Amino acid sequence: MRLSRSKREGLTDLWLAGPATLALLAFIFIPVAIVAVLSFTNYQFGALTFDWTGFDNYIALFSSSVGRRAVTNTLIYVAIVIPFSVGFGLLVAVGLYQMTQWAPRWSNVFKTIYFLPVAATLVAMSVAWQMVLHPSLGIVNQALFSAGLPTPSWLSDRSLVLYTLAMIGVWQSIGYNMVLFLAGLAAIPAELYDAAEVDGAGGSWSRFWTVTWPMLGPTTLFVMVVTATNAFRVFETVATMTKGGPAFASDTLVYALYREGFVYFKAGYASAITMVFFAFLLVLAVIQFRVVARRVHYR
Amino acid sequence: MKKLLMASTLAVTFGSGVQAQETEIRVHYAIPTIWADTQQLLADAFMEQNPDIQITLDGAAEGYEDGVQRLLRESISGTGPDVAYVGLNLWRVLEDRGLAQPLDGYLGDDPLSQGYTPALLSLGQFEDTQYALATSASTLVMYVNPVLVEQAGGSMEDFPDTFDGVIELAAKIDAIDAATDGVWIAPHDWRFQSLLGSYGGRPMNEDESDITFDSPEGIAAAGLYQRFAEEGGMKSYSENDARQTFPAGTLGIMFESSSLQARFAEGAGDKFDLTVKPLPVAAEDDSQVYFPTGGSAIVMLTDDEAKQQAAWDYMAFVTGPEGQKIIVENTGYAPANALVIEDESYLGNFYADNPNARVAHTQVANYAGPWYAFPGPDGVAATDLIAAALVEVTEGADTEATIEDLADTLRGILGMQ
Repeated sequence: MRLSRSKREGLTDLWLAGPATLALLAFIFIPVAIVAVLSFTNYQFGALTFDWTGFDNYIALFSSSVGRRAVTNTLIYVAIVIPFSVGFGLLVAVGLYQMTQWAPRWSNVFKTIYFLPVAATLVAMSVAWQMVLHPSLGIVNQALFSAGLPTPSWLSDRSLVLYTLAMIGVWQSIGYNMVLFLAGLAAIPAELYDAAEVDGAGGSWSRFWTVTWPMLGPTTLFVMVVTATNAFRVFETVATMTKGGPAFASDTLVYALYREGFVYFKAGYASAITMVFFAFLLVLAVIQFRVVARRVHYR
Repeated sequence: MKKLLMASTLAVTFGSGVQAQETEIRVHYAIPTIWADTQQLLADAFMEQNPDIQITLDGAAEGYEDGVQRLLRESISGTGPDVAYVGLNLWRVLEDRGLAQPLDGYLGDDPLSQGYTPALLSLGQFEDTQYALATSASTLVMYVNPVLVEQAGGSMEDFPDTFDGVIELAAKIDAIDAATDGVWIAPHDWRFQSLLGSYGGRPMNEDESDITFDSPEGIAAAGLYQRFAEEGGMKSYSENDARQTFPAGTLGIMFESSSLQARFAEGAGDKFDLTVKPLPVAAEDDSQVYFPTGGSAIVMLTDDEAKQQAAWDYMAFVTGPEGQKIIVENTGYAPANALVIEDESYLGNFYADNPNARVAHTQVANYAGPWYAFPGPDGVAATDLIAAALVEVTEGADTEATIEDLADTLRGILGMQ
């Protein structure tokens, strides 16, 4: 039997896109749907029965002080990490890019150093940070102490711990952002700089504002989305260094999710946290693509 | 005892007239850093005596929480092990899901003669049914750095046995210099329950229908955290920080689990001669005092009757004197069988070499009591709320108000109102 051309093309499309679609359904959409269903139950891990509880889990998350703190802590963390890690990433990338012209070897050495935190396992790095920031034996406080400065408890002071974790988050992601920005910088055609110079933009600042920064628009958008999703997912540092403590001061959404689901065995409630987490990421992605994409007009 | 056991095994084997069939028993355990070698030794020793039973160790879970989670997962898929070692405060989760099998039928009428004292059995009982047997025990003790005590003008021979005395000494140690700390205790449910027990208080009433730590005893116990901070100069260390500080020799007194003794002794090395002191007893009526016991328990999970007998033989071995001797000598935990302590032939030499272990183990023998697990799905969450309240008390919040608030919150989430 001969099939018409359009039918044959349709079959080819199905053959090409079908397996991936099936995998996407089986491994992403169906699990997410199950989690969404579970979030309306009081299902406990390993239990044989469960009850439908409507929006109780969501109400509990936003009305209990522990739940609210996890949400606000996550937002504060993200609000610190995005600007600092994108800003410093750009700064380092521009610096090292310029450096390639007069000291390429050193530039490469620095690139490697900045990239090390990305390549290293964050859990292992957390252990190192814990030692560095130890309140009395750590090198940071030893230095502060001998300089006669106050020695804060970086990871066990409730008012400080979240900022310490955010700082480590920034430290960890600068290298990654730097690499992305370097790729963006390399893609800017040199003629644009020549043209800018002809038009009178000769200084480094005006070159940056008129050529580099606008041309990095798409890269910046991408870097911000990646940084934001990673920041929202903060888990390893919290789990290894503070366990959300002291007194929930560094509890974040994903850590709360882990704690509720895998320590307290409350699968239903943990599913509700997961859905809220998804919602945050979705909103974030939509905002960034809408707002920032409008300014990246010349693509 | 051993001969009797072997004789009965032989009798069963020959009596049935069948070739000994090998029964495989799968064993789950957690915390390989403490248990991996010990589990292998236990399995080997048991199999030597019971050639017809094959012990297979599952890959260890990282911690007790992970372990219970894995057991629950495996129970859903029907691939669970036959027996499991779980945290003494976590076996109730398995009982709650109907996974732990009752053991009363196997224990016989006179468990005391096998070394299972009522106190030890109480660690694995719920509603008059025995679901778990303790396999290793630890209680809260004081780890002391004698070098700092001497520097502060204190005396190890005349070491204080009251909390007032300890706080006074801690203040002196703290005053030595800015880099030296007096005392530290973790803001944590188990530590709090220990202090509470020292004052003779209880976290819950008998039938677990109400919180009772908002009593004068509970407020005094929580108040110790504030006094440690204000009078003894306790810093807001995290648990990991403190566990590094003490072996480094800059912390005078640390309240910690007796199971950490080997690790601390190793960390202290030649810097100081690590000394273990029993927890002060604050109540006037000694009979009310108990110290909640941490450690592990073993539960039977298989519901296959043929396997249950073999599983029980293994459980009886590891909780019996021979198994307990292996556990004590290799982990630093206190034994959970009275025979092994009473009969010098088992651990006499070990205690002669480890006076610190004797202090800790005597405290377990005298004051062992249940580590209360709060009932219901929010039981574990309750312990985190307790820890958070203790942080607030430590940082200067009004003790009475905080503890009363906490008790009310727990009544709410545990459904006790």
